[in-house]
Parts: sequence; C-alpha cells; structure tokens
Amino acid sequence: MDLRTCLIVDDSRIIRKVARRILENLNFEIDEAADGAEALTYCASVMPDVILLDWNMPVMDGLTFLRRLREQPDGKTPKVLFCTIETAPERIAEALSAGAHDYVMKPFDGEILQSKLMEVGAV
Amino acid sequence: MLQEDFDRLQSLMASRAGYRLTRDRIHLAEHRLGPVARREGFDSVDALLAALWAKPVASLGWAVIESLLNAETWFRRDRAPFDTFARELLPAIGQVRPEGRVRVWSAGCSTGQEAWSIAIGALEAHANIDIVATDLSQRAIDRARLGAYTGFEIQRGLTAATMLRWFTPAEDQWAVRPELSQVVRFARANLLDEPTDEARFDVIFCRHVLQDMDPVRRGGVIEALERRLVDDGCLFLGPDERLDGDTVAFRPVSGRKGLFVKAPAALSRAA
Repeated sequence: MDLRTCLIVDDSRIIRKVARRILENLNFEIDEAADGAEALTYCASVMPDVILLDWNMPVMDGLTFLRRLREQPDGKTPKVLFCTIETAPERIAEALSAGAHDYVMKPFDGEILQSKLMEVGAV
Repeated sequence: MLQEDFDRLQSLMASRAGYRLTRDRIHLAEHRLGPVARREGFDSVDALLAALWAKPVASLGWAVIESLLNAETWFRRDRAPFDTFARELLPAIGQVRPEGRVRVWSAGCSTGQEAWSIAIGALEAHANIDIVATDLSQRAIDRARLGAYTGFEIQRGLTAATMLRWFTPAEDQWAVRPELSQVVRFARANLLDEPTDEARFDVIFCRHVLQDMDPVRRGGVIEALERRLVDDGCLFLGPDERLDGDTVAFRPVSGRKGLFVKAPAALSRAA
C-alpha cells in the first residue's frame, strides 16, 4: 500500500498529536502546520493528498487558507477535511461550499476520521 | 460475577434471545449490568441476579437481556451494501412493483442507523420506499424511533453534507428530519417468535446479527427470514457472514459480499 501524505493544520499541539497518531495508523505520512499561512507556504512547495484543517487559528484562519489554496495551481487536488469545534449548520455549509470535501466536528475519534476519509475516497 | 451466574445468563440469552453469550464476555456482562442494577434499584449486580433467579420477573429479565445484546452499529456500516442497494437493487425492484414501491426490513436494527442509512439512499435516489425496522431491545427501538444522535454517532459513517441534508441540530444532538422518519416504522420484535402477520419484503437487511446467534437457533431464524422474503428477494448479511450449510434457500451473489438471493430464481437477478 502506497503511503499518502496528510498535512494537519491546527494551532493546538495536542490536537495535532492526536490526529497524527490516528492518521499514521491509517498509513498516512504526516506533516504539521500551526496556522493557515504556514500551511499555504507548505503547499506552495509540496501539495499533500489530504489536509485536515482547523477553522479558528491565529495569523490565517482555515477558511481563508482554503479559499487561497483553491486559487493555486494544483490547489484543487488535495482532499480537505475541516476539523473544528464549529457545529452550526450554516458554518458547516459555508465550509463545504468553500471547497472542503468533508467536515469533522470536534471532538472526534479514529473511527470517525477513518469513515470520513473513506467517504471522500482518501483511504 | 460468579461463574454460576454467568452460566445462567448464558442459558437465559440463548433460550430467550437466541444469543450466544461467549465466555470472553463475562467482564463485559458485569460492566453492562451495573447500570441495569442501579436503574432497577439494586445495590449490586450480584443482588440483581439473585433477585432475577429467585423470582423471574419478565420486565427485569428483558432489561438484563437487552443490556447484554451486541448493539454496535453505525451509519452506512460496511458502506458497499448501501450503495449496492440504492444503485442496483432499488431501480431493478422498483421497476416491477406497483407504484415502484419497494419494501425493506431492517432486522436487528439496534439504534436505527442502518434503517436511516437505507432510507437516505432510497430518498436520494427518489425511490418509493417503505422500511420496517425491528430489534429485540425496546430501549434500542425507543432510541431509533427518537432518531437523535450524538456528534460521535452522527459522524460515524455520514459525510457532513449528508448529515446537513437529512438531520437537524436538536440541543446537543442531531435529529432526523420528518421527511426521513416518514418512510421508516420501528417496532420491537424477537426474531425467534413466530410471525403474527403475512408481511413480505423485497429486501431484508439482517447484518451482523446471525454471527452472534446460538447455532441451535440460527437455522430457524434463517428460515423465518426466507419466509418473509418474496421470491427472488434479497438478503444482506454482514460482508463476512456466510450461509454455508445452514440452508439451500439462498444463493450468494458473486462480487457482492454478504448479498444473497432467495432461490431458485437466484441466478437471474444476480446478473
């Protein structure tokens, strides 16, 4: 099975650590970014297969990152999963219409993440 | 828990529910019975069981049985069966039914995720569907009928888009929309009981149920499922569940794990 890459974008070190552990078990190679600007710089050099994206972060939030990403060449290829504490339907719909493939409400677990990744065809 | 108590629980589960309570579940049983004991006003699991053995009360017996069943389920579990159903079976069956009405039974539906998953697939395909969903556990059926799920439950198997389309936030949970609940009827039923009506179904989902059944009861349940199916009707089991040696009434459909067609006209539908 070939290794796929996932960029975890979250300002919480703990969330990044939890997500990393789950995704490594699903055979992903992981990199991390602490905000949208950092993630955008990363993507400019190498485009990951999957991006797990927090919403509220300092410097650049997840939604702004996603919109900028989708304007880039190759920016439409990564599967983007929002992963945030926002649970209002309007916010979820906003994220999906901005180009997210799916949306994970925190708190989440390995089974949720795996099933979401399967639904978007990333595993 | 005393070994003797566990032995008696085993035979209770086998005789009343057809459920095979395996030895490795002794600690699980203790853990599950704790809340039942508290709810029923006993100081401990031992006290609950002593009372149950001394004077078997039906309601207490069922509370114990329900708590020991395997209730695990999630939305679109195993995924493929729901896609096969919505994309292949539903259009084919709908074509040959009056008003395109397809009748489905979710047998052993637990807290309802399977029935809602079937309903979502059908309504998104604009099909005319009628789903009956049953479970042995009254508590599970009550929850299924309520149709409200936690953030963990709703996200397990459903995309956010599907969740938004068919569920609406209700306090800390997500509740099914009325258009979805209209096509599913929930009822408590024991697969061991003789049918009291003549209802027939085009498709039966009985997934991850037979695997936990007592071998002595399994054959009878499979026979009952067969009687409930129309000729050429389809039966979904779990992807790794088989009917080898149990019956000649069903034939597996090649390339569709867990899907069986009621014989003898099995091969025509399989193509």
